[in-house]
Amino acid sequence: MKDKKSAVSTSIWDHNRGVVRSNIGGWVIGKGVVNRGYEMMEDFVGKLSYMQVVIFNATGRMPERRLADFFEAVHICLSWPDPRIWCNNIGALGGTSRASALASTLAGTLATDARSYGIRPLLEGLAFIQDALRQYKEGMSVEDIVRKEAARHGGKPSMMGYARPIAKGDERVPALERVREEKGFPVGEHLALAFAINDHIAQVYSESINVNGYVSAFWSDQGYTPEEAYRIMAVGVSSGVTACYLDTRGKPAGTFLPMRCEDIDYQGVPPRELP
Amino acid sequence: MSDLEPLPASRKFTVSRRPEKFADRITTRIWLEEPSSENPYVAKASYCHGYNILELASKRSFSDVIYLLFRGELPNEHEAELFASLMVSFINPGPRHAATRAAMNAGVGKTDPSNILPVALSIFGGEHLGSGEVEPALRWLRKNLKKSPQDLARELLHTVGSSDREGDFHVAPGFGSFYGSIDEMSSAIAEQLLRLPAAGPVMKWAAEFSKILNTAQMGWLSTGVVAATLADLGFQPRVAPGIFQIMSAPGLFAHGIELASKPLTAMPFPGAATTSSRSRRNEG
Repeated sequence: MKDKKSAVSTSIWDHNRGVVRSNIGGWVIGKGVVNRGYEMMEDFVGKLSYMQVVIFNATGRMPERRLADFFEAVHICLSWPDPRIWCNNIGALGGTSRASALASTLAGTLATDARSYGIRPLLEGLAFIQDALRQYKEGMSVEDIVRKEAARHGGKPSMMGYARPIAKGDERVPALERVREEKGFPVGEHLALAFAINDHIAQVYSESINVNGYVSAFWSDQGYTPEEAYRIMAVGVSSGVTACYLDTRGKPAGTFLPMRCEDIDYQGVPPRELP
Repeated sequence: MSDLEPLPASRKFTVSRRPEKFADRITTRIWLEEPSSENPYVAKASYCHGYNILELASKRSFSDVIYLLFRGELPNEHEAELFASLMVSFINPGPRHAATRAAMNAGVGKTDPSNILPVALSIFGGEHLGSGEVEPALRWLRKNLKKSPQDLARELLHTVGSSDREGDFHVAPGFGSFYGSIDEMSSAIAEQLLRLPAAGPVMKWAAEFSKILNTAQMGWLSTGVVAATLADLGFQPRVAPGIFQIMSAPGLFAHGIELASKPLTAMPFPGAATTSSRSRRNEG
């Protein structure tokens, strides 16, 4: 439709008004559930792992089972039941507040859409190693790649995926290395570069690769973009959050890390008269 | 990558605690709780930036205290008027906004009423006409405030041209087309807010900028009005998304809970999706 006075075209909205147009598929009542050309009940249920379907839904490409198993292993690595970890802490606070399990799990999971830790840093992690490999192939040395990144962060080796909060080293890396070897995935060029960077920063800065750096390199070798990896891992921490919810849900309400008034350090203006 | 060392199977991984110093206590400049002499977990008085909350409750408006929470001081008469007017203007994104429809979907499905706002506000966080757009809009306005709004608008319109883009286009965060034309409602709200004494240089600059955009069927968007007004009231960019969420939350929840007493059939359920995906069932 075109408005005669203003010659404004609203055709794209008129075309989509009241009609679902999908590039994927959907439920055809009485016939089945189409998903990018597959019939889900026939082709997926009982034949694929859940993680294969998660990856398919997040990327449009069907991964082989062993690759989905690797992604699943990463989910396990992010499912720690430690309520000190920020997202898990939210789950525990949900339990002690008697919020629902689903609300608490999602609240904690949403908090990992964050810059300091969690899932969003995967965007930067994959972008870094993919860019680093491009530079390496153009002739830049590992030392120069690290030096260039460090210069951007005040001399610190703050590449996403190397070093982590709280601890030095990452126990998830050797665990996932074992899975990679068992599943028969060779070391690709991104992962080889990631380990070379790891060795260099270990010597120069006493830092090392973390789970983000490791999986970012491995998934880059498997052809995933930063955005695809981020989508696949969207709820990666959720199970750990649920575990922490469960722990405090089973105890008297309001008893998880309770605080006295004096436990807050007030640094604002002292009490004053209302004008 | 043959010159890179292959991973030795014996590679050692060690994990040790980083010697970081974490705070012993949480600090805040916002809220003081005076403990009861009977029980240290119970507060006998609470102060918001120094003002007793009971006194605030009896003498000041909700929007004044929201302003106090984020700015650290109570607004003067004109600031209070502008902030309250902004909050009322954007109290409801309206029943067609994606976040409102998320609230309605949550409501009609009979989720717990407490879940409706978190659901709706998550979608309201988007960068297209949601709270995700006001922070970049506010930063953009502050960055460009010294430029001529007319020249910048003409330059941007010239750069983007009149290509065959599908859908709406935001020439800058908070400014652009709305269903292919000028967002009349946002323009009218901006006009009304601009008549208030506290309307400042950012709103006036943005109004001039929008005037030029109007020639290309673009102009103020809701997010631009909110960003410009909050900038004039002294709010920091990082605070702006949350303030926009707070002001729109009543409308989002109202629409969600309105549907919560109705059957699933109270909302349209369109026919199956028309899809172009071909069958892969017989592929190897």
